Amino acid sequence: MGKSSFFGPETISLHTGYQPEPSFGSRAVPVYQTTSYVFETVDDAAALFNIEKGGHIYSRMTNPTVAVLEQRIAALEGGVGAICTASGMSALFVTFMTLCSAGDHIVSASQIYGSTGTLLKHTLKRFNIDCTFISINDEKALKEAIQDNTKLVFCESIGNPGLEVSDLPKISKIAHQNKLPLVIDATFATPALCKPFDHGADVVVHSVTKWIGGHGVAVGGVIVDGGSFDWGSSKKHPTLTTPYEPFHGINFWEEFGPSALSMKIRAESMRDFGPAMSPHSAFLLLQGVETLTLRMNQHVKNAVKLSKWLLEQSPVMWVNHPDLPENPTHEVAKILFPNGAGSMLCFGVKGGREGGAAFIDALKLSSNLANVGDSRTLVLHPASTTHSRLDDEAMKASGSSPDLIRVSVGLESIDDIINDFKAGLKAVDKATS
Amino acid sequence: MNIVVDGHNTFVATGGCTFNPKKPTVVFIHGSGLDHRSWALQARWFAFHGFSVFAPDFPGHSLSEGEPIKSIEGMGKWLVKALKVAGCESIHLVGHSQGFLVALEAVSCLRAELKTLTAVASATSIPVNEALVEAAKKTPGDAAEMLLKWGFGSQSKSGVSAIPGMQPIGIGMQIMSNNPLAEDLIACTEYKNGINCAKNAHIPSNVILATEDKNTPYRFGLELAGLLNAETTAISNAGHMLPIESPKNTLDAIKSFILKNT
Repeated sequence: MGKSSFFGPETISLHTGYQPEPSFGSRAVPVYQTTSYVFETVDDAAALFNIEKGGHIYSRMTNPTVAVLEQRIAALEGGVGAICTASGMSALFVTFMTLCSAGDHIVSASQIYGSTGTLLKHTLKRFNIDCTFISINDEKALKEAIQDNTKLVFCESIGNPGLEVSDLPKISKIAHQNKLPLVIDATFATPALCKPFDHGADVVVHSVTKWIGGHGVAVGGVIVDGGSFDWGSSKKHPTLTTPYEPFHGINFWEEFGPSALSMKIRAESMRDFGPAMSPHSAFLLLQGVETLTLRMNQHVKNAVKLSKWLLEQSPVMWVNHPDLPENPTHEVAKILFPNGAGSMLCFGVKGGREGGAAFIDALKLSSNLANVGDSRTLVLHPASTTHSRLDDEAMKASGSSPDLIRVSVGLESIDDIINDFKAGLKAVDKATS
Repeated sequence: MNIVVDGHNTFVATGGCTFNPKKPTVVFIHGSGLDHRSWALQARWFAFHGFSVFAPDFPGHSLSEGEPIKSIEGMGKWLVKALKVAGCESIHLVGHSQGFLVALEAVSCLRAELKTLTAVASATSIPVNEALVEAAKKTPGDAAEMLLKWGFGSQSKSGVSAIPGMQPIGIGMQIMSNNPLAEDLIACTEYKNGINCAKNAHIPSNVILATEDKNTPYRFGLELAGLLNAETTAISNAGHMLPIESPKNTLDAIKSFILKNT
């Protein structure tokens, strides 16, 4: 169980991590648009560099505006700390590179975001880090995929784009039996709908570009450290539990315990890889965090209404949303997502790829673009875009298909979204008649 | 480093440097349900500035083996044994909350090697609410939450952290939920020897207090300082979890005192 604040989520979203600063009393979080911070003395600088005290050195590692966002998201998730990055993909890359070295292995769900799949299948392979992809809810496949050199199990809480819900309690149990941490990309859910640490996850990653930011104005990522994984007993991650030369032989686990992973990411990956979030992006994303709970409730309401309406339309061949009984993981979704399983839905129209293209091209209110989690309704044809680099077999395993239309349901009046979709379905009829 | 005390492996944090018993040694003693990590941002400074650091996890806590010790007196004796095993020649005792009660008990067993005594958010006694003790016996996670809700000051409760990106409440919850909190709280409640020990501790002393401390309120800390004839530092905007929630101010207060008395 994760808990790192005594406030409720709505209060955390508005207040955590910041109290009005003493100079001017700014009520909103100020944008500290600075690269660096003046040291009090030479000794003070040395102490900061040697992690003898906390504070800011250089904005590649930490920045006061970014830190507020980090502390707020850590509190929303119930983690011990968080590190914001330039994008969701850099958050994943940093997580994998902190936990793995050349010769190591990852077990991943096959139903994941296309770029994450490419990172795991092709890019990390160049660094001699291998990955085995499995159907993540297949317990036998998961057990069989774990090798001696496996360093983590990875999945998305709601898979993209097939919307399969990962059975986190079962998956984490197997991971922990094998002394492995479970890393979750929880972008589709946000902490407003599901707290993966309460279900056994050890590390949570978000693309905060999406619902957490919620307005489609800034790109960012975050890694949240649950603090519950026993790196010392696991002994599978020696860079966390043995002396680390660049910091005078620091042993992150012995020194920092629950926050060992966060401290290692900050000290090594943010320093060496440098995927820092800009303070201005953090400021924009904080505006989204302030209304996260309110927005997610409305996103979910609209998604459920649109799903049910689509089910009744004749050009629609199928509809998939975890809150619909038709979704094969609906029962798991009811447990993990009591307030609704997000605002992503998929459906197929008659005419396959041609029908799908006709639908998307006829929309006026909804936007055809490669993003999700905007306040506005977004649509995409993954087979032509995000998942276009996958072969047929990989596309099927990812939960995609040539006829699949992915919808990120926005916050517009539901009647207006439905009217827009009516026009799209008319175009499908015309194209396929 | 690991040492063996009473037949059990004991983890002792050394602040990231090799332990040298010949150097003046700052001994950091953790509070109820906590471990050496509560001193992470004080210990490293001393270790890298001419001191040795000796910050043990008490038996049954975090990285140390053995059963938890059931009395403050027993913990004091255990600490003295551990210091002898390590061969410390010049000792500065620093205790947080329960850890300071342990330090008080150790004072009478240490002789010329003891140089100074520092209390961080403590008092001569720390009686604990019975409901909290019962909760700690049944559901340590709930008890940790209750304790930390009282323990942290207003700034930490609003999620402001001295370490960018971190959540001290979460860190405290993780450590306390997995340690023998009930045993420690009972030991605190049953301890009655604090005033006597403080009166007889004729040693340079330092008392560091938090103005928002609800567990060992400020006025009790002042009483302790009076008995010890101690230097006193008050840290504002912080509560009982001083070493974690206000690490820099806590370090500054410890360090200025020890540097003066070394």
